Amino acid sequence: MKTPLELLTDKKNAAAERLKEKGYLSKKRVYIGMATCEIAAGSKEVMAEFEAAKKQGLDIYLSQKGCAGRCHVEPTVEVVDPEKGPVLYTKVDAKKAKEIIQKHLIGGEPLAEGEK
Amino acid sequence: MPEKIKITINDREYEVRPNQTIMQAADSVGFRLPRLCYHPKLSIEGACRVCIVEVEGMRNFVASCAYPIYDGMKIKTNTDELRRARRDIVELILDNHPMDCHTCERDGNCELQRLAYAMGIKTRHFEGEKKNYPIDVSSTSVVRNPNKCILCGRCVRICSEVQSVHNLGFSHRGFKTVVMPAYNEAFADTVCSNCGQCINVCPTAAFVEKNYTQDVFQALSRKDVVKIAQVAPSVRAAIGEDFGLPAGKNLEKETAAALRKLGFDYVFDTQFSADLTIVEEANELLHRIKTGGKLPMITSCSAAWMKYMEQFFPDLIDNISTCKSPMSMMGAMIKTYFADKIKADPKNIVSVAVMCCTAKKYEAARPELMVNGMRGVDHMITTREASWMIKSAGIDLVNIKGEEFDEPLGMSSGAGTIFGATGGVMEAAIRTAYELYTGKEMPDLDVKAVRGLKGIKEGAVMMGDKEIRVAVAHGLGNAAELLQEVRKNPDKYHFIEVMGCPGGCVGGGGQPYVGLNCVPLDENLLRKRAEALYNADRNRKIRKSHENPDIKRIYKEFLGEPLGKKSHELLHTHYKQHYPQGIIPGGGKC
Amino acid sequence: MHNRSLEVFGKAGYFNSQLRIALRNCGIIDPGDLDDYLNVRGFEALAKVLSGIKSEAVIAEIKRSGLRGRGGAGFGTGLKWELVAREKSDQKYVICNADEGDPGAFMDRSIIEGDPFSVLEGMAIAGYAVGSDKGIVYIRAEYPLAIKRLEKAIEAARKQNLLGKDILSSGFSFDIEIRLGAGAFVCGEETALMQSIEGHRGMPRPRPPYPSASGLFCKPTLINNVETWANVPVIVVEGAEWFSSVGTEKSKGTKVFALAGKINNTGLVEVPMGTTLRHVIYDIGGGIPGSKKLKAVQTGGPSGGCIPADLIDTPIDYESLGKIGSIMGSGGMIVIDEDSCMVSIAKFFLEFTQSESCGKCTPCREGTKRMLEILTRITEGQGKEGDIEKLERLGNMIKKSSLCGLGQSAPNPVLSTIRYFRNEYEDHIKNKKCTAGACEKMLSYVINDKCIGCGACKRACPVNAISGSTKQKHLINQDLCTKCGECYKTCKFSAIDKG
Repeated sequence: MKTPLELLTDKKNAAAERLKEKGYLSKKRVYIGMATCEIAAGSKEVMAEFEAAKKQGLDIYLSQKGCAGRCHVEPTVEVVDPEKGPVLYTKVDAKKAKEIIQKHLIGGEPLAEGEK
Repeated sequence: MPEKIKITINDREYEVRPNQTIMQAADSVGFRLPRLCYHPKLSIEGACRVCIVEVEGMRNFVASCAYPIYDGMKIKTNTDELRRARRDIVELILDNHPMDCHTCERDGNCELQRLAYAMGIKTRHFEGEKKNYPIDVSSTSVVRNPNKCILCGRCVRICSEVQSVHNLGFSHRGFKTVVMPAYNEAFADTVCSNCGQCINVCPTAAFVEKNYTQDVFQALSRKDVVKIAQVAPSVRAAIGEDFGLPAGKNLEKETAAALRKLGFDYVFDTQFSADLTIVEEANELLHRIKTGGKLPMITSCSAAWMKYMEQFFPDLIDNISTCKSPMSMMGAMIKTYFADKIKADPKNIVSVAVMCCTAKKYEAARPELMVNGMRGVDHMITTREASWMIKSAGIDLVNIKGEEFDEPLGMSSGAGTIFGATGGVMEAAIRTAYELYTGKEMPDLDVKAVRGLKGIKEGAVMMGDKEIRVAVAHGLGNAAELLQEVRKNPDKYHFIEVMGCPGGCVGGGGQPYVGLNCVPLDENLLRKRAEALYNADRNRKIRKSHENPDIKRIYKEFLGEPLGKKSHELLHTHYKQHYPQGIIPGGGKC
Repeated sequence: MHNRSLEVFGKAGYFNSQLRIALRNCGIIDPGDLDDYLNVRGFEALAKVLSGIKSEAVIAEIKRSGLRGRGGAGFGTGLKWELVAREKSDQKYVICNADEGDPGAFMDRSIIEGDPFSVLEGMAIAGYAVGSDKGIVYIRAEYPLAIKRLEKAIEAARKQNLLGKDILSSGFSFDIEIRLGAGAFVCGEETALMQSIEGHRGMPRPRPPYPSASGLFCKPTLINNVETWANVPVIVVEGAEWFSSVGTEKSKGTKVFALAGKINNTGLVEVPMGTTLRHVIYDIGGGIPGSKKLKAVQTGGPSGGCIPADLIDTPIDYESLGKIGSIMGSGGMIVIDEDSCMVSIAKFFLEFTQSESCGKCTPCREGTKRMLEILTRITEGQGKEGDIEKLERLGNMIKKSSLCGLGQSAPNPVLSTIRYFRNEYEDHIKNKKCTAGACEKMLSYVINDKCIGCGACKRACPVNAISGSTKQKHLINQDLCTKCGECYKTCKFSAIDKG
């Protein structure tokens, strides 16, 4: 019989598989801060922009995340390029979201950001 | 567990029983720490903080009512800092309390007043805003004055823990906290049983009875009416306390004399109608037993119990004896039998009942109990109200020469007397039922099994070959417990007595406030009051209701026979399910 | 498992001196996806203890880690577990206190919204250690998103057999349900919280009996705060030695603070115990906006104390904060600059605790009200000689005599401001002057000689308190003036003095 740790390892592997299927390692990952504070700062609009882009064929791994505690820069969007590592965008609104989609996700060039 | 442990109080060592609180331990060795929200019969609240003490090793003061002792505990009860803290705490209560002591119902009998004196509050340091709420006078029996409330929570606890009515609770927060019924509903529309125990336990006058003394004084000054009083058994057992006499002194004749001096034309004894109740009730019981009627039969004398039953145990209505209470039977007899006798128009009779009870004010106003369209009892005053009237009229109850009650509704047996104590109705009914059923004298008239202050008492009586199983509950919480058992096990008992108040009527909500060195509902006090009644019973020549010659006479002259047509019309009634405000029959939304 | 935030967010000033243990996954993983949590070694701690570690050993590990309750009082977590484990009972409960009530503190919400699984895992580990199969999360109904995430997380964990019956085929069962609170501040107090779960009015009751002996429904109950729970899986995986290497001698690990007030970078910061206030305010928080001077820091939520600027080199741990008249509390940290009046600040916090007092015990119910009245009159220029002494007398009595922690700490803001800023109180009372200019009722606006008589202030005044003819110096009628400040804002010539 398997120990709980072994059973958990199975579950983890299965979870990793599922994540991979969704493109975790192959696509650019976009995380939108969707905690209450981020939503209050306007992250729902931002999420809507990315969802719309995805619907129109933008091939990304779109996900939400909780709050990192940076109240003064919310809403935040994190873009992880499997090859290049993560970039964090702050104070994102619909307009900035469109720029991120156009320049970073489609164009491949991260936006110039003052503060990370 | 060792039998004794050592604790130190104010640098002196004491050996005390383990498993008690600091307050209990201190009390046992001669202290009496100041206290307010604490009551030995209720759960520990720890709210008032008046009983705080210092315990070595603890950063903060601890409430002695709540904190358990341990071996080697070092306690200080009387440091400068503690005294000042206690003083300040009591001042804080006073600062949010009306400053109207000399016009207050509880003047001279207020725990807060005594405490303020003991704490030495001479100057007020922290006065400011005071609460200001409307006074609820909607109820026939209980007046709620939140402005005098000091939020000790005793009323909340007695209403739920002892009486199982759960009508009171805390509402709102902080400085705005108020004790109120659900939704701040008018008291008249709530599940309040009118038992008045909140009045008894309140340390101030946040709860008092609805006062009818002015109505009675007004009636007494009228020349065109016949003024008649009746006095409940337990009034005479307690009224002396209001005049500084020790508890347990029976002032039967003195009370009759004082009421006559107040201006009543006739003073009758509710013990007479208690005898009448017993004759009807014992016959009803035997009738139910013989004809296969609904059993167990449950007594209906207690007014608080009746309202409680209508609200919480409506499924047991058919078990309730149809007999009216002694007070209402007396009212009915005054307005019919006695009115005929003195050839007076019953409309010109003012009938006043002096009772130990607040719920009887509600009972007196019940439409079901009307006699030919009139109230049998026009005004009901409590023992306390009667005391005040006697004092106010300048009558010396203590040294007055006793007088007898008036004929023909004034003579009573010992059975009628003991109605005032829990188990008394049961004992009286057994005495009569036994003889009616067996045709023989009962060997020992004292039914010890149903006496005393145990919450639920059970017993069995052999009536010839028939075993009659009985149970007695006092206090609505005990009643609820007993009736839950009846619901589960309907054949367990034949006959049940329920009294709404702890101790029965001697512990009624209208009885004198307790004096110094005593707490409300103190068992010794209740026992002494009951003892006054049992002694009177023991010394009576006639100790069985059906042997009371005036009872025999009233049946011969007027009523005919027990359970007969006239009895049915005047002495019996029916109860129905009662819905408090906000509860819709069958559920649903308001 | 705890340093991925650095990887994600880089070594930006805000993050590089933080150490994220409780917040390790917040802002990193998708809180709605158990797969994401499993991917960051989620449930490894639970699986580890279920794979043959004795419950006593788990408790010993927590004890050795030195973890202390993050809800405020700082009681040793391992000891608490041990007390509950020792009790014999047919039923025990494990409660997560998520009734975060301090205004401005939101680390519990953030953890539940960002990483709900770590809380569930912590609770399950405790359930195993103390012998309980029933967990309850008591969370305020004002956190709808947190509740939703938590519900989803519980559901997902159950589906994967990480909660519920026979977890990971180990024979150990543990399930969690959510109970909603109506938002009373006092329901964060453990006995009041349990009263509330039982369906009663949330009012504290005297202790003992302590919850560990007789808690929820009179059963032995283990109750810890969200942040405490979130620490537990890390201790189990990384070990007590690693955890206790962080922090100070008596305060181990990290603490999350909600940085707010007059500070450039507001937000949640998690730093090792022993970090100085200065470091948090200037290095992480980015200092004070508008290059104003720091006046004080208020820590510990509404019942914490105010720490003056000259003490900001104090290391943050339970004992050091206590020594200077404040508390750790749940981790509120409000930065106060020179424009703030300390009497008003004390009044502000007391207003909160006063209205949130449950009303049960006299000192808290009546005493805080009187303190508030005194503070109000001081800030309105009606302060009297002796008021400071009355505040101290009441405050000390309330601290020592109140029934629960709310009352015992409610006077802290007042007592600490008197301790460090007594001169401000005296200024208000004796000179009827608020140096910071924050107490409106004590302000007066006076027109000085720079006035050119343009009439702008006259037109701006809503109560016609200003008179004067054109090109003449104007005058403010002090009896009519409501001190609204409109004239002051309107004047372009600095011709109005405020003070």
